Amino acid sequence: MIRARLGTAAVCLAVAWLAAACVERERPESNLLSVVGDTVLSDSALALAALNAQLEPGELNVVQGATVDRWTGPGGRPFEVAVRTEEQEAGHPRRFGSVTYPTALRARSVSQYPCTSCHFGRTVVMTDQRIGDAHQNIQPVHPEQTGAVCSTCHSEENVELLALKRGEQATLTQSYRLCAQCHFQQVGTWAGGGHGKRLDGWQGRRVLMGCGDCHDPHKPAIELRIPFPAPRLERPKGDGP
Amino acid sequence: MNPDPNDARPRDAGEGSVPPKGVDRRRALGIIAGGVTAGVQALGACTPLSTATEEDREVKVLAWQEYIKGNYRTMTEEERAATIARLERLAKVKRGEKVTMRSTGAQPGVVFGYAFNISKCKGFRNCIHACINENNLDRKAATQYIRIFEMEDGVIDLGDGDATYEHEVPAEGHFYMGTQCFQCADPPCVKVCPVGATWQEPDGITVIDYDWCIGCRYCMAACPYWARRFNWSAPEVPAAEVNPNQHYLSNRARKKGVVEKCTFCLHRSRQGRLPACVEACPTGARVFGNLLDPDSEIRWVLENKRIFRLKEDLNTEPRFWYFTD
Repeated sequence: MIRARLGTAAVCLAVAWLAAACVERERPESNLLSVVGDTVLSDSALALAALNAQLEPGELNVVQGATVDRWTGPGGRPFEVAVRTEEQEAGHPRRFGSVTYPTALRARSVSQYPCTSCHFGRTVVMTDQRIGDAHQNIQPVHPEQTGAVCSTCHSEENVELLALKRGEQATLTQSYRLCAQCHFQQVGTWAGGGHGKRLDGWQGRRVLMGCGDCHDPHKPAIELRIPFPAPRLERPKGDGP
Repeated sequence: MNPDPNDARPRDAGEGSVPPKGVDRRRALGIIAGGVTAGVQALGACTPLSTATEEDREVKVLAWQEYIKGNYRTMTEEERAATIARLERLAKVKRGEKVTMRSTGAQPGVVFGYAFNISKCKGFRNCIHACINENNLDRKAATQYIRIFEMEDGVIDLGDGDATYEHEVPAEGHFYMGTQCFQCADPPCVKVCPVGATWQEPDGITVIDYDWCIGCRYCMAACPYWARRFNWSAPEVPAAEVNPNQHYLSNRARKKGVVEKCTFCLHRSRQGRLPACVEACPTGARVFGNLLDPDSEIRWVLENKRIFRLKEDLNTEPRFWYFTD
């Protein structure tokens, strides 16, 4: 009896594994389409926010994530990157006791997202000479330092996609694929756990913030800031930690 | 240390100087407590003074029962549940706080470890701010578990670090190094405690039974990392700012004359969540995880990064590593 049950369980596991493997193989194609998923998320994002609001203290927040391709975490485990949604643009706010504040450096990262709110067609003409009038808020420090132009990273065929060197396209959520073309070491460390930031829990799903949650792609260095107030210390300087 | 099969204490009793099992003593205390409680109740009921309200009487009884209770490690599950119910009720009646207190034990197969990236920390102090709010730290005395030291490049002596900087950060030619309780594997603070009020849990967190601490501060003298804080006065937290998500061994209300310290946010980390400092860090300088899981982020950092520990020569084996990019 027990043996028969074990056998059934084994068959179920095998079927589940095969199904998972099939999904794994299908993913690269579906990624190209997921830009639609990124922009049409607002409904599910609202549902997610409602779900988070119902949580008991101590329970995990529910973060929306997309499985990362081509990179795996420690031990070859797959992991996820936080999907850009309306409320996650506001810097992944988290609750500490009675206060809530954003935990990502770029609290309002992409102010003009989605691109289709102005660009009604998906194609744009990108010149190498200047940044369009509507995008004067962009400080092109990174392009100036590297000699890059708009079309080095942005797709001219679809404004909401990123153009990779090998001719493929990536969504904004998949910015790690674009950045990894040069900063492969950093992205490798990010996949391992020594760079970037994990959201919510050390256990369970591993969802990391994407590159653009902390770094402005056009000006990637972390900016100076006035810190939170200093502690009141009784000890004189030079008296041990 | 092999577990003693005759030991009836709960499984998460942890290591350290365990007080005697004292089943008889506990039973005796229980009987006394029961008798006294009945007496107090009877007294309260008989008191002709109209000023003694029902709530006053209840508080007196609860406070007495709290006073006579045992060390957290020697309590049975029922006794733990009872003390938590009393503490929750006292918080409600005395301070008007609606708190949820847990007694969650350590997860099996988990030992917590922490890594701090001194290349990434920019000294913003978000971690300190989150910690104060999460752990109900005394606002009046401005107690803080975490210190962020601004250090000149090339210097590693924390004595030369400045934890009181107020200028824009990161400052040119400086790096930032955070300290807090390092949850040592061989904690000197536990060894010196004369009453067994502090001990190491199986997941590596050194905790304090705030109701068993006598406030002698030996542990503070023994800690080479300046990680423990003493409550010189009763901690004050505005009722609206109290974090209701509490754990008996972590962020519940402390009282005057007891020592407290960082517990890696036990009330969060035992639920699978990240400590508040890790979650609040805006630069991702803090890595937290299970040291026993070979596929955890913390293990990846320890295996792939250049790491060091503070005052490693003291052999306290802190479970807190510093690393660089």
